[in-house]
Formats: sequence, structure tokens, C-alpha cells
Amino acid sequence: MREIVQIGIKGYEETWPPVRGDYQVGDPAAAVAVVTLASQLMLRGAAIFGQCKTENLGVEKIVANVISNCNIRFLILCGVESKGHLPGNTILALHKNGIDEQGRIIGSDGAIPFIQNLPPEAISRFQDQIELIDCIGIEDAAQIEELIVRYSRMAKPYPAEPFQVIKRKAAPRLAAAGDGDLFFGAGVAMDTTAWIVIDEAVKGAAIEAAEG
Amino acid sequence: MFRFKREQSIVNVGGVKLGGQPGELPSVLCGTIFYHGHRIVEDEGRGIFDKKAAKRLIERQADLSAETGCPSVLHLYARSIQAFQNYLDFMDDVWSGPFIIDSADASTRAAAAALVSEIGYADRAIYNSISLATDESEARSIRDSEVDSAIILAYNPSQPGVDGSLAILENGGQVRAEGLLATAKDLRITNLLIDPAVLPLGSGAGSALRFSVAAKARFGLPVGSGIHNAVSSWPWLSQKEAAVRKGCDAAAGVMQLLSAADFLLYGPIEMADVIFPATALADILIAEAVHDLDTAPGETHPLHRLV
Repeated sequence: MREIVQIGIKGYEETWPPVRGDYQVGDPAAAVAVVTLASQLMLRGAAIFGQCKTENLGVEKIVANVISNCNIRFLILCGVESKGHLPGNTILALHKNGIDEQGRIIGSDGAIPFIQNLPPEAISRFQDQIELIDCIGIEDAAQIEELIVRYSRMAKPYPAEPFQVIKRKAAPRLAAAGDGDLFFGAGVAMDTTAWIVIDEAVKGAAIEAAEG
Repeated sequence: MFRFKREQSIVNVGGVKLGGQPGELPSVLCGTIFYHGHRIVEDEGRGIFDKKAAKRLIERQADLSAETGCPSVLHLYARSIQAFQNYLDFMDDVWSGPFIIDSADASTRAAAAALVSEIGYADRAIYNSISLATDESEARSIRDSEVDSAIILAYNPSQPGVDGSLAILENGGQVRAEGLLATAKDLRITNLLIDPAVLPLGSGAGSALRFSVAAKARFGLPVGSGIHNAVSSWPWLSQKEAAVRKGCDAAAGVMQLLSAADFLLYGPIEMADVIFPATALADILIAEAVHDLDTAPGETHPLHRLV
């Protein structure tokens, strides 16, 4: 008999995690996710674990993947910080302070700490659903697994539907052909603003036809 | 293929020329050594490494450069200034061409700029990079150094895509008070190399290609990228065998060159054996394609050497 998936009970969709990345999925029903920053660690008991080396796109992927699973209530930050980028510091700052109007993560010491693909509601949900466990610097897998066990016992699923981050699609822009600024020869030009290849002969004939 | 209406500047860094119209100059190839995780490095913090292996890699890149006519640049990545100094001491005996200063750590980059100025290597150095991440402290170090060549990273996370990348160069977009080009000039950088900042595949990597053409049309400056990063960020490909991954690296590099790039930050220097022939092929095809657009390939171009 076919199983009926009830999101409200299960806490995540069959397609979870929605965003691909450098991670491994454990038990999606588990309450703990682990970011190992620049360290490569193998861990048991987590819903999902993996590295994060960048303070912008990497952080976004983590947020998108944890808030789309209501079972995840704790995010352990461990391993060695990625120098210069500081994604661990950035996740802590994001959780504490959120982002400003330009998408800059407030209070992060990372090089370019920006959120560009998540709506503000996703950040609020991350702050509300997830509790961060700051173990940055710790690389001992056994010690981290103990934390996973300890925090798993303390959790109940987040009481809401999974938050699905949908990629924003840019509205199609009607390009207007102007004078070409890039030439292919033989009267063919390209306007790199409109990104339109123009055949001058065809364009001239069209203008003549329009003018009657 | 095409020719830009706007005049294309050519910069000279340590004897290597970058820029010009597509098909005019051979593409410049920058291989990275001592990168994070490089197996020849024993201690990244102190810069302890296998000197024989490093010499072999650098000489291989130089040999391929001489054979194909595609000039090369040594891309030095260091975790600390101590490591950078060790790499530089070693480089003295094996490489006399231009090199790139790179580190994820801003203070290391800044100290490296001061170091190369102190020992008289500044005219061979390319600072990587001036970007949204360049704070006042790093900017001061660049300004105080004698380095006059830099890569300008057109990464604009508040406005992803071609328009946003152009904006951060021109006027800072929504995240800087002034454009990065103006900032670079203020820091006494005269040789400006534009890098679109390649995002992971699926996150907008492809816009680097269109940006490259648009940036050359708009600014007339040399453009190039580390498009291999898009390839290495592709989880699907990482499961494939090495020959397949190398093929994709070469394909990505060639696509970037076809999109008017003047240089490639082609990633691990071990890839030289794949990238140099692929680039020579692309350069020859492009030169032939623009032959009747009044673009003549220079004397050292692969077209004159390999066919």
C-alpha cells in the first residue's frame, strides 16, 4: 500500500534537502545538523552534516536546507574556521543579528558576508527554528557525536510547515536594440547592453518598411 | 567571433602582456601553486614544502608556455606571510616572470604586498584582489606598497548577474560608496585586470561569460577568471573519473576564452598539461576567426608556432 506523506507529521518533503552541496545526509528525522566548516569529518547521528567554506553562498545553502526540515532544531558549528571567509563567525552573526537592507550579514567578520538568494522570512525562520551550538575549533568526531546525542534528546520538531526557499526568478526584461558596440563583421553588430545581435542590413530594411 | 568597438588596453606585467582585441595576444595562463590542500605542501602555516616537486611543476608550466606561446604567471597562494616569504625565496631560483599574490587572509595579502615592494619584486606582482572585501587597513597597505598591478573582483552579492558586476566596478552598486575601478586607481594600481568572480555551477557561474564580453566592451580592460572553480564546485562531476573532470576543466577554460577573456586563473598548476594545449587551440581558432576583422595575432601567438 502506498504511504501517504504528511508533511505536518514528517517535518520534511521527500526531496529534502532541497539545495545541493558538500554534505552528507544522515537521518532526516534527527534533530541536529552539523557544519564542520573547513574540516572534513565523518559523523553519526546527525540529520545532515558537511563543510562550509564560504561566508555567502555556503551559508545560504545551510539555511535553506535546515529550515526545510522541521525536525532540525540545533545546528552545531565545529571544525576549523575557513581563514578569511569565516563562515562560522558569519552563521553566528546571521543568527544573532540578521541582515541589513542590502543583504549584508550584520556583525560578520567574514570577507564578503552577504545573503543574496534568501528572503528575509527565511532568515527569521532560521533564527526562530534553530539554536546554534558554537563548537568552532573542535575537530574531535567522538566529542561532536556526544553533543549530537545530547541535543537530539532535547528537541521537538518546529511547529510549522517546512520552509521552502524558492529561487527567485528575474523578471524577463524587454531588451531594446540600440547602436551596436561590438562587431562581428559583415554588417552584424551586437549591443552589449541589450545583448542583441543586429544585422544592419536587415535593420535598415525593417526601418524602411516601417516608414512606408 | 568579434571585435570590440572600444579600444582594448594592453597591460605589461613583468614582461607579460595581457589584453587587446580577441585574437590579438595569446591568452595568459596562471597556474596556482601551494594552494590549500596542495599535496606538495607539508606545513601550510610555515610554508614547508617539497622543493623538488615545486620546481618540477613550475618548470613544466614554463616549458609548456615556451612551446605554445601562451605566457604564464605563477599564482602563489599562501596561508601566512611566513609561508609567502618562504615561497618567494624559493621562487627566486626557479621563476623570473610575473606572479600573483594571493591568500584568503587579508593581512597576509597586505604583508605580501609590502614584502615584494621591499625586495624589489613589486613590478612582477599582481595583487589578488581588490574587492568588496577590501577594507581600509588592506587598502592602506596596497597604497603604501609599490605594487601597481591588481585583479579587481567584480563580485556583487547584493545584485547578482552582469548588471550588478558592472555596477560594483563603476559606482559601487548598492554596497560601496564608489566603484572598485576608482578605488583601485586611488590605490595607485595602473594595471587593472578584471575578474567576474565565478560563482558555483547552478548559482550563476555562467554570467561570468557574458560579463567578460560586457566588461571589455564597457571598460576596454583585460578580463579573465578562475572558471575552473565552477567545475570543481559541481558535485555531480566530482564522482567522475579524472579524465572526465580534466575534460570539463579544459572546456570551461575554452568557453571563457571564447567569451573574450585575456587570461585564465586555471587552478592547480598540475593542470598545465591539459590547459596549455586547450588554450593554444582556442587561441588559434579565435585568431583565425577574426582574421578578416583587422585583428592580427602577435608574433608569439600559437597560430605562428603550432600550425
